[in-house]
Amino acid sequence: MGKFKHPGPGFFPFGLAVILAFLALALILQSRRKEEVPAPFWPERTWRRPLLGAAVFLLYAFSLGYLGFILTTFLFLVVWMWGVERIRWLTIITISIGVTAVLYFIFEYFLEVPLPTGFWS
Amino acid sequence: MSEIWAMFQGLGSGFGIAFSLNNLTFAFIGAVLGTVVGILPGLGPAATISLLLPLSFKIGSPVTSIIMMAGIFYGAMYGGSTTSILVNIPGEAASVVTCIDGYQMALKGRAGPALGMSAIGSFIAGTIGVIGLTFVAPPLAEFALQFGPPEYFALTLLGLVMATLLGEGSAVKGLIMVVLGLLLGSVGLDPISGAIRFTWGLHMLQEGIDFVTLAMGMFGVGEIFYNLEKALKTELVTRKITHLWPTLKDWADSKWAVIRGSFIGFFIGILPGGGAVISSLVSYAVEKKVSKHPEEFGKGAIQGVAGPESANNSAASASFIPLLTLGIPGNAAIAMIFAALLIQGVQPGPFLITEKPDIFWGVVASMYIGNVMLLILNLPMVGLWVQLLRVPYAILAPIIVLFCCVGVYSIRNTVFDIYVMGIFGVIGYILRKVKLEPGPMILAFVLGPIMERAIRQALLISAGSPLIFFTRPISGTLMGGLILFFVLQAFFTLRNRKKVPGQ
Amino acid sequence: MKSKILGWMVLCFFLFLPAAAGAAEKFPAKAIELVVPFAAGGSTDVLARLVAKYAPKYFEKPLVVVNKPGGGGITGTEGVVRSKPDGYTLYVGYGSGHDLVTPHFQKMPYATFHDLLPVCRLSVHSIVMIIRSNAPYKTLKEFIDWGRTKEQVTASVSTKAGSVDIVFQAVGKATGLKMVTVPFRGGAESVTAIIGGQTDCGGNHPSEIISHIKAGRLVPIAVALEARDPALPDVPTFRELGYNVVAVGSVKGVAAPKGTPPEVIGYLTERFKKVCEDPEFIKSMKDIGQPVMYQGPQEFGKYLKDGFEDYGKLIKEFNIKLE
Repeated sequence: MGKFKHPGPGFFPFGLAVILAFLALALILQSRRKEEVPAPFWPERTWRRPLLGAAVFLLYAFSLGYLGFILTTFLFLVVWMWGVERIRWLTIITISIGVTAVLYFIFEYFLEVPLPTGFWS
Repeated sequence: MSEIWAMFQGLGSGFGIAFSLNNLTFAFIGAVLGTVVGILPGLGPAATISLLLPLSFKIGSPVTSIIMMAGIFYGAMYGGSTTSILVNIPGEAASVVTCIDGYQMALKGRAGPALGMSAIGSFIAGTIGVIGLTFVAPPLAEFALQFGPPEYFALTLLGLVMATLLGEGSAVKGLIMVVLGLLLGSVGLDPISGAIRFTWGLHMLQEGIDFVTLAMGMFGVGEIFYNLEKALKTELVTRKITHLWPTLKDWADSKWAVIRGSFIGFFIGILPGGGAVISSLVSYAVEKKVSKHPEEFGKGAIQGVAGPESANNSAASASFIPLLTLGIPGNAAIAMIFAALLIQGVQPGPFLITEKPDIFWGVVASMYIGNVMLLILNLPMVGLWVQLLRVPYAILAPIIVLFCCVGVYSIRNTVFDIYVMGIFGVIGYILRKVKLEPGPMILAFVLGPIMERAIRQALLISAGSPLIFFTRPISGTLMGGLILFFVLQAFFTLRNRKKVPGQ
Repeated sequence: MKSKILGWMVLCFFLFLPAAAGAAEKFPAKAIELVVPFAAGGSTDVLARLVAKYAPKYFEKPLVVVNKPGGGGITGTEGVVRSKPDGYTLYVGYGSGHDLVTPHFQKMPYATFHDLLPVCRLSVHSIVMIIRSNAPYKTLKEFIDWGRTKEQVTASVSTKAGSVDIVFQAVGKATGLKMVTVPFRGGAESVTAIIGGQTDCGGNHPSEIISHIKAGRLVPIAVALEARDPALPDVPTFRELGYNVVAVGSVKGVAAPKGTPPEVIGYLTERFKKVCEDPEFIKSMKDIGQPVMYQGPQEFGKYLKDGFEDYGKLIKEFNIKLE
């Protein structure tokens, strides 16, 4: 951690941790004083859709390496719009194709960013 | 007197140069490119300029290439605020503050005025910045040299304190976020000792967490996860777009914010490193303090957009000053321009204005022209952007997530970063549920490493004595100001508590 | 029947012939990547870009500079080490701090001298000690006298445990001063610090300070090199002044991954040599304070190994540690 004369790498994080501990204490004391009616964290099981969204996201990140950008992105859009948002099929398909194409062109051609190709390469 | 006349002459010749068809074209190209880059997540102006460096030889003339690059730099500033306002995703660190009130305005259907005011404010600020550059550059640059580690520490500390004031919640909550942000900032290789911190052995974390990853995650993805909680098909944003342009009232409200922001940005922006971020923070805090309705801040106060946006634009102009007068680049994008000049045989430094006045003045004049171009470019686009908001959120949401993913991927070409962004998305979501603001955290994340380096460098220089922060004139003033600020805050808080009985 | 089969075989043989010949195409058949393991805008980057600028005169295909900063230079270099040894991915900056100094202190993810083949040396960035022109001392001797009266003297250096840092710690020990090196983020930041007077002296490469010397803000008082640096011919070496601090500075050369065919290396060496002999290139390099110092692969390889050992000796003799 080092001395004051020669601060080491642990100096800063340690100091921060100490401050954080104090602040957490202050927060607890503060909330005690307020005496609010505790509102439910997730009224009516609203955690479902965020969880679904997170799951689709995870799946996307995972599949990018295997299926390549174009396919995975397309699937992501389809799955999301169908599962998470419940949109009409026609809209889903058109938008999925459109957005995937636009993204592909912007990033691969215009900006020359190499996008993952999965097993297509 | 003759000196001022010489300045005018120089500026005049500069305009002559800048108005050539070639230079105008490249200024325009740069502006467009910059705006696009600023809007797209991931690629920043520094990276874009480095991609275009080889092109700059082909252009041939150093004036023209630097004009184009300056255009990119500014354009990115303008573009970054667009995403902040529309979808609450900061294009770069200097736009984080714009997200706070800008997005709120968009949610209330006032995206048009927000974007418009931001563009106009940026234009005015940029102009003031260029004027400042013309007349005050050399002495100001000298002053900037006085800023050493103790001063940077004091300045970043000031910025952090301002950051805690950003949120709506209590100061304690703001402080917690700041501390968390600071801790996040220390992930990776420690610049001073070379030790590796908080990486859990993951090689990918060695360079620390990238700002874009954090910002996209916490602001972009996090916001979307949070919004998913709302029932299907509810429109989250009032689609009733009230005005497309800022009203006269908006003008009246913001004009002083713009002026103040411009000056704040100019003076702080001269300092190499972190100038734009700190200036946007200071501007926001100042606006909140001088406002007659401080409670509106955080809910869509236009001064909260006009001030910081002006600040970060004049800071952008000001960041050219150390480059053109001393030959010292202040941030990554300017460093790129510095390299481009070197390769073309131009030595940026104190002699630039005397040896190659055409380059110096040509650049200054084109910065002004660039600002005009960007204003012309951006104002009509406001209508376009606002239309984009009309798209049902249900469709927009996955597209935004995708943009974030690809943007993040483009930084290091690794899916790992997408996972990291996802984790921050979850964290952002949780934070919103607990009503903790992500804004101060991300600002602390940016300023933290600067502050830590500064304090350790300062202590090395002072052989361990913390007195150095107080004995040097500039840092002493800053620290003194901070202490005064705390004392006053505590005084007022205690006084208010006594006034309201039964609490 | 037999002749028919023979006929087919001969036909196939002729069909494959051009393909086989095509496989052994002339090098280079496409653009060559110059990997700079540092951020764009730094001295190595500028060097690579200058080379790339003049290359079209002598190379059939363009040279493209790619920046891969990180890990103090190790990340980008490792990338080249692991790339295909076909001559299309080269490392520019061979001989920098992370090649010659860092291996003395920590384990490297690759073997600097085994996994890379020297192609040629382009320049040498020496380490120069500079002071502000308005400082109360004007020469090294005066600085030492002044420093002896102080609790410590500070030197701004570009990176912790880089070549400049190590050399300055050695200077401290050699002169008997308590020398504290203050690291900054790269040469540009450290130069700003010394100009502003944040530290008592600074260590930089000539390319970083040449414009400031010309402007009269900085004064170079010594250089840590075997002989005087051609970029700053009036500056005495530490050795001349009586202090045996000698190092090769930060060497900038080109390297290819192990396994690159010798003909490819030969081609590269020959063409880079031509670039180094181009008068415009020489002038551009001189203007930015990076003297062209070409060396062919064999001498360069030896130069590097000697330089590496010199650093080792320096570290040992002055007992330099990484805190």
